[in-house]
Order: sequence, then structure tokens, then C-alpha cells
Amino acid sequence: MKELVEYIARAIVDNPNEVKVTEEPGEDGVILKLEVALEDKGRVIGKQGQTARAIRTLLRIVAVKRNVRAALEIV
Amino acid sequence: MKALEVSAKTVEEAVERALNELKLTRSEVKMEVLQEGKAGLLGWGGENARVRVTPLPKVQSPESRVTSHESRGGGLQSEASPERSVSRLMVAAIAREVVETLLRLMDVTASVEVGGGGDDQSPLTIEISDGDLGVLIGRRGQTLSELQYVVSFIISRKFKGGVRVTVDVAGYRKRREEELQNMALRVAELVKSTERSIPLEPMPSVERRVIHLTLRNDPDLATQSEGFGDSRKVVIYPRFKVASSRFNGFPSQSNREALNRGTAEPGNREA
Repeated sequence: MKELVEYIARAIVDNPNEVKVTEEPGEDGVILKLEVALEDKGRVIGKQGQTARAIRTLLRIVAVKRNVRAALEIV
Repeated sequence: MKALEVSAKTVEEAVERALNELKLTRSEVKMEVLQEGKAGLLGWGGENARVRVTPLPKVQSPESRVTSHESRGGGLQSEASPERSVSRLMVAAIAREVVETLLRLMDVTASVEVGGGGDDQSPLTIEISDGDLGVLIGRRGQTLSELQYVVSFIISRKFKGGVRVTVDVAGYRKRREEELQNMALRVAELVKSTERSIPLEPMPSVERRVIHLTLRNDPDLATQSEGFGDSRKVVIYPRFKVASSRFNGFPSQSNREALNRGTAEPGNREA
């Protein structure tokens, strides 16, 4: 799951080397924290959160397949 | 300058490596795929991808500008020149890698076919089939739309825009289009026989477009999209003839409203 978010984020930002994803256990499944360069933040969120929503949707597919709950936070 | 041939696990990787070596950007070189990579099974039996990267002349004569433009896949000429078809191959190969990588990272096993041009005339079409694909479509194709959005975003970033991409899963879009056409015609008949406008269920813009296009040439009807955001939907209106609207027994006010909506707005053309 981490790899998926990393791959998408790296492919769309200007500073792929500054993309960092960490997995943390949350109350309700795993929480993925996506860190990007400040100037790339808008890009991974997108217009009206469109990009963030799309990443979450694809993340949900893996999560369902692996029978876990996963949440994406952009920090 | 000399051409450089590089092989790596993926086309993408090979191109990156070659560009690093030459210290050039994508727009300063001509890229050719000599061989597409194959992933192989469990890391065995895979084949490397090979690309040839040729630096373009530095001086921007009109000729070389055309070449560099075309090698990015955005040329306007409809005739396929060698550079252009090569770059189509490049875009297609990278599109395939992007989709295959995404699917692998999502634990989805499926086969991927890439076709189409990737310019304004014909969008790049990516067909995903043979697998457990329901999860990729989602309710009303929502997941499919998001997948397409991510794929086209990634590819556009790699080629600096100008690549239109359609992603279809197990023929869903094609099937859905036929369903929508049938529904449009069915409701159209109902609108004509009752002479009342009927709203359809809310749909995304691509689907509304299908409805508008299906009924575009019907002289007795007008279609228009109404509402905002997720609740935007097509309404099918009867288009009354001005002379007969006095005699058909409906309150003339609503007739006039329907007439205005039907004709004043270019509703049957826009999605």
C-alpha cells in the first residue's frame, strides 16, 4: 500500500526525492502519511482534492484486497 | 552527437538513465523503443527493455524544431512521419508500464492492451481485461474514472501534457455507452408520448455527453444538463412547435418555459 502511494506521488510531483510515505498503526487500521515538498503539496491534493481522492480510491482497492483499513493523510 | 542505447528493466528506467548520462531532457532528444521489457514471473524470465536516445541538434533550425515537437507526440500533421510513430510507440510503451505498475501495486492481476494515438485526434486507449476487475470499476464506474485520472495525470506529467488517455476495464465503457443510448431512446419515446420533460438520473459528464449526442438529431426533443456537481443530470424536453403549443392543452406558461429551455440554450450540443 505504501509502495502504491509512493509510486503515484513520485510520478506526479516535481521533487520525487522528497516524497516520503510512512505507515503507522491507527485506531482503525493503518494510517499512511504522505509527505511531499511544500511546492508539490497542491499537486498531490489537486483541484478540490481530486487527486487526493483518486489516490485514496486506488489505495482502498489494495486495502480491501488485503482485508485491512487504510487511511491516507497528506502532511 | 552520438546516439546512446540503454537497456534496463523498464522503458521508463532506460530512458531516465540515458537522459542522465547525456544530461539532456526529453524534449532535447529523439527516443526510440528497441524492445519493450517483459516483467516475467516472480522475477524470473523477464526481458530487459532497450531504448535508443539520440540527441537533437542544439541549434533550433525550423526543421529540428519540427522534429523535436513531433518526437514528443504532439505533432499536428495527420500524416504519420517516422519520428511520430516512434514517439507513439514510446508513449504507448510507457503508458503500459504505468498501468501495469499500478495494477501490480494494487494486487490486481490482469492483462493490459494499449492502442490509439495519444494526440488530439485519437486518445490513447488502455484496455484492462482478464482478471478480477469488478473492484476497478466501482459504483457507476467511479473507481474507473479515478484510475483513468491517475493514469492520464502520470502520463501527461512524463510527456509535458498533450496526451489524452482513456482507460477501459473489461469493456465497461463500451457496454455502458450502449446502455445509455438505449435508455436515452426509451425515455425519448416516453417524453414524446406524454409531452412532458423527464429528468434522468445524475451522471458524470462523459455519460451525459452520450445522452446529448444520441438525441442530438431528434427534431422533437431537446436535452439539457441541469444541477451542479454530483447531482448534475440530463433533462429531456419535448420541443413544442410554436403554432401547435396553443392547442395541446398544457398550460402555456410551462410550454413556453420548455420551449425556451429547449431552443435558447445550446443544450443538445454541450455535455
